[in-house]
Amino acid sequence: MASILDQDFPDEEEDDFNPAPEVASDDEELDEKPETVIIDDDAPTRNERSRSRPKDGDDELKDEDKDAIVGFGREEEGEPDADADGEDDERLAEEGAEGAEEEDEEEEEDDEDDDIEGQPSRKRRKKHRRNQFIDVEAEVDEDEDEEPEEDDELPGEEMHPDDLQELPPGADRDDRMHRELDRQRETRDQLDAEQEAARLKERYGRQSRIQGTGTAIVPQRLLLPTTDDPRIWRMRCKPGKEKEVIISLQARIHERASGREPLRIFSAFERSKGAGDPMAGMLYIEARRVDDVVAAVEGITGVFMSYKPLMIPLEEMPDLLKVTKDKQLAQGMYVRIKRGLYQSDLAQVDELEDNGADVVVRLVPRLDYGLNDDANGPMEAALPNGQKRKRPLTQRPPPRLFSEVEARKKHSKYLQKASGMGSHWTYQGKDYVDGFLLENYKINGLQTEDVNPTLEEVTRFATSGGEDGTENLDLAALAATLKTNSGNEFLPGDKVEVVRGEQKGVNGLSIEVYGDVVKIKVAPDHGDLSGNVISIPIRDLRKLFKEGDHVKVIGGSKYTDEVGMVVRTRDDRVTLLTDAEQKEITVFSKDLREATDSGGAAADSKYDLSDLVQMDASTVGIVVRVDRESLRVLDQSGENRILLPSNISNKIEKRRNAVATDRDGNEMKNDDTVKEVGGEQKTGRVLHLHRNFVFCQNRERSENSGVWVGRHSSVLVVNAKGGKPQSTGPDLTKMNPALKQNGGRAPSPMPPPQSKGRDRLIGKTVKIKTGPMKGFIGIVKDASGEEAKVELHAKNKIVPVKKDMLVLIDPKDGKVIQGGIQSLSMGRAPPPGGMAVPGRTPGYAGMGGRTPAYAAAGGRTPAYAAAGGGRTPAWKQDAGARTPGYGGGQTAYGGGGQTAYGGSTSYGGGTSYGGGGSVWGGGGGQSTWNPNNGGRTPAPSGSKTPAYHGGLEAPTPGGYASAPTPGGMDATTPGYAQSAPTPGQNYGKTPAYQTPGYAPETPGQWDADDGPKYD
Amino acid sequence: MSFFVPPSQHRSLRACMVCSIVQPASKFQTQGCPNCEDVLQLAGRSDSVLECTSTVFEGMMTITEPAKSWVAKWQRLDGYVPGVYAVKVVGILPEDVISDVENAGIKYLPRDGTATEDIQ
Repeated sequence: MASILDQDFPDEEEDDFNPAPEVASDDEELDEKPETVIIDDDAPTRNERSRSRPKDGDDELKDEDKDAIVGFGREEEGEPDADADGEDDERLAEEGAEGAEEEDEEEEEDDEDDDIEGQPSRKRRKKHRRNQFIDVEAEVDEDEDEEPEEDDELPGEEMHPDDLQELPPGADRDDRMHRELDRQRETRDQLDAEQEAARLKERYGRQSRIQGTGTAIVPQRLLLPTTDDPRIWRMRCKPGKEKEVIISLQARIHERASGREPLRIFSAFERSKGAGDPMAGMLYIEARRVDDVVAAVEGITGVFMSYKPLMIPLEEMPDLLKVTKDKQLAQGMYVRIKRGLYQSDLAQVDELEDNGADVVVRLVPRLDYGLNDDANGPMEAALPNGQKRKRPLTQRPPPRLFSEVEARKKHSKYLQKASGMGSHWTYQGKDYVDGFLLENYKINGLQTEDVNPTLEEVTRFATSGGEDGTENLDLAALAATLKTNSGNEFLPGDKVEVVRGEQKGVNGLSIEVYGDVVKIKVAPDHGDLSGNVISIPIRDLRKLFKEGDHVKVIGGSKYTDEVGMVVRTRDDRVTLLTDAEQKEITVFSKDLREATDSGGAAADSKYDLSDLVQMDASTVGIVVRVDRESLRVLDQSGENRILLPSNISNKIEKRRNAVATDRDGNEMKNDDTVKEVGGEQKTGRVLHLHRNFVFCQNRERSENSGVWVGRHSSVLVVNAKGGKPQSTGPDLTKMNPALKQNGGRAPSPMPPPQSKGRDRLIGKTVKIKTGPMKGFIGIVKDASGEEAKVELHAKNKIVPVKKDMLVLIDPKDGKVIQGGIQSLSMGRAPPPGGMAVPGRTPGYAGMGGRTPAYAAAGGRTPAYAAAGGGRTPAWKQDAGARTPGYGGGQTAYGGGGQTAYGGSTSYGGGTSYGGGGSVWGGGGGQSTWNPNNGGRTPAPSGSKTPAYHGGLEAPTPGGYASAPTPGGMDATTPGYAQSAPTPGQNYGKTPAYQTPGYAPETPGQWDADDGPKYD
Repeated sequence: MSFFVPPSQHRSLRACMVCSIVQPASKFQTQGCPNCEDVLQLAGRSDSVLECTSTVFEGMMTITEPAKSWVAKWQRLDGYVPGVYAVKVVGILPEDVISDVENAGIKYLPRDGTATEDIQ
């Protein structure tokens, strides 16, 4: 009901001299908005009703073509209490007519009272209204009437019982006379209406919005175009030239007005608001015929005759002339500058001129203080009449507060201290107060709608004012600017709070948003309101967030898309801790939404973390951080730069197969682990190899997200991807003096043990020989470096074990394959079996464990030399002395030798040796070795030189023939060399033995060369 | 009545806040407002010109026959002289001028959109 009346008001008012309803309508608008749904408010009806009461009679028909005051009363007709009016009239008649003036005055007073009182209940209002009459004209009756009357309001036609009582019998017939009287009074009233109107106008003149010609006063809706009116055609013209076209048209009209062919158009207009306006380039011409339109505009510069005139439909004509009110500016509000140096800069309204068209705004100046002036160019001030030379806007200076110091540097002559207030300067004819520029703008040079100031911009205006450094953000002004935003900031599901109006403080969940109104469901803790759905205009709402809410910034700030947790809310401002950087940022609550995702910022950057980017021809860098608008890049020189994505010329795709060599010439690939030589000894995984630079990342470092950059020549590969560690120690092969010394003479050294590809141990069955897991058998699942991962047979478990704690076993019979692991790691095939096959190198391998024996053999070699030389007197003597012994020795070999061994049983280990030896002896050719072994053992123990000799003699040919191979091996394996001394010491009695015993690699060579000599 | 505005004067155009007629400032200065001169008495009074006319206006229309034109009727310009008018004039008339206008029997209608907004 209220809304219907709302709509009709203005029209009524147009043809109504009485401006009072206008006031009423204002009131109701104010009162109503916040409560449209909850309270069934019929305040407006009341107001109208009471206001129009004196004039609305039962004979309204008469009034129809009379004045508008009565016309206003007509509104009432549809109202439910029209009947009550009838009653009133009767009453009036009964009381007799009084001066309308008086009544009226009373009315108005009462109305005003009502307005102030607020909204009494319907009942009370009714009573009140009635009292208005009774007070004035029926004082006597008041008391009796009041109560009973209430009961009888609705019946309408029927007389009130009280009234009936009062009336003498036959009063019903008298009623007609009363009505007659009343009618007469009304007529008289209406004659006075003109005066009345004048009086009212006097009183409310300022508020009346009534057309000015003073002749016909017609509501605008009656002015709607009819088919009799001329039509409007649309023509097109050059955008921006609309005004000129209109003026030329006006001139043409005037020229031809008195001529033979006057233009037969009635009017022409344009509605452009400037470039970009949808109405730009449109020209509207009112005429009867389309030919007249064409004739009128033909030949006018700027009109596009190629477009055919387009007739505007009748119903759209008023829209063409619709005028929307500009937002009313107020001091402290924010606007944007439309043109010029400060284009799209935020400005604060400092002062409004009285004429409503000029505005003084505060701006953060963009000054370069003449630092970029062309020294040779003419000075700006030198130009006549103060006009500035139009300088090309190459690059406008950044906004900074005015600095007197800066200005003095080059432009001190333009700088003047304005008298009076503190920091007020005049510089180049402009005023600067507190660092801000005060500039006068026309209102149409300012953008007042959709200003959307960001908090960053606003704080610029705020910070300067606070003397103690605190922000004095004018929140009210800011809110005024911001609140006009359209409704899209609220979405169903938002938690909101009412910040103004009767429902202030109420919070709830928005369930529907339409236009500027949000329907909210009130949260449970609001008493009667709980759970109700109420409608609240957007400007009275704000979003509600609690500490701990996870929110996302959705717009209006540079933090768009940041996600974080609310840590503090104050009024409209919400401080949140961002997920991405753990940084506190403050934004308006309207820019936030509850976040469902945890996605960080910068999802839209062209560049990703760890991308290699090219900055210029010679500079590359790696992205170490991606921000909303900038990138942090570590360049090849190790410098950390912050760049805009536009500063980056391109991204360098990662080359998967890039290979480089490190300091030692080893191959270095992506994902290899490298270590810096010198410096901090940083380690890291190779991310990129570019030219001479290697970009590595070590997640344990915090600086630059762990990324560092080095040169190829300054890093060493520590661990190739998935491979075994490269030796970090010195290269032994190069340091071996023996190899160097012997040069070409030596057989070319065996290549250093190297494993290629997969570790051969993988998949083999091994046994753990020491440690807590000793005895466990398992399969090697993975092996690298010195460690192997063994899947145990017993437990379903994979354990890492050092390789030297493992022995290789035969998966079939569980026998230990001696030296199997070493041979595997040396890249050779493992021995197929145990020592079953005699006389072969494996035999050696088998003996490996018993190095001493071997060494003994080697150790003895010099002894051969001595023997072979036979020149050693001691030897000679020996030999001479025991020649028979010698022979005996020989014999002993046949079998007696065994006996000798037997003798050495005391030796312990010797026994088994002997046994072993005998077996070998049986082996034939190999027997040459046996004497060696066997012979040796007794030799020290028994100190029997002959036995020795025998040993020497026998083996020479056979044994040494096979010797060279092991000799070669001896050379490389120091272990052999080391084991040599042990027997040597055992033989310790003869110094001659010892010395040679120490020479590591000699045996093989000696053998090779000198062997024949012995023969 | 002659109306020709050389382009050089386009910038100095002003609109009367009462009747919305658009003229160069100089013309207001010398001849006053052709419709409201009785009340406003602009001729020769430059401060009055500044007070009662505005440079901020939108939508220029040339009215040839105010009596017959629907546009003129809608804009409530019927009865005014032919000429160039503005659809919207932004500005606030001083209060004393408003009362003068009202007293002269002319109903002042702000043309900055406030009046029409009520209709919507």
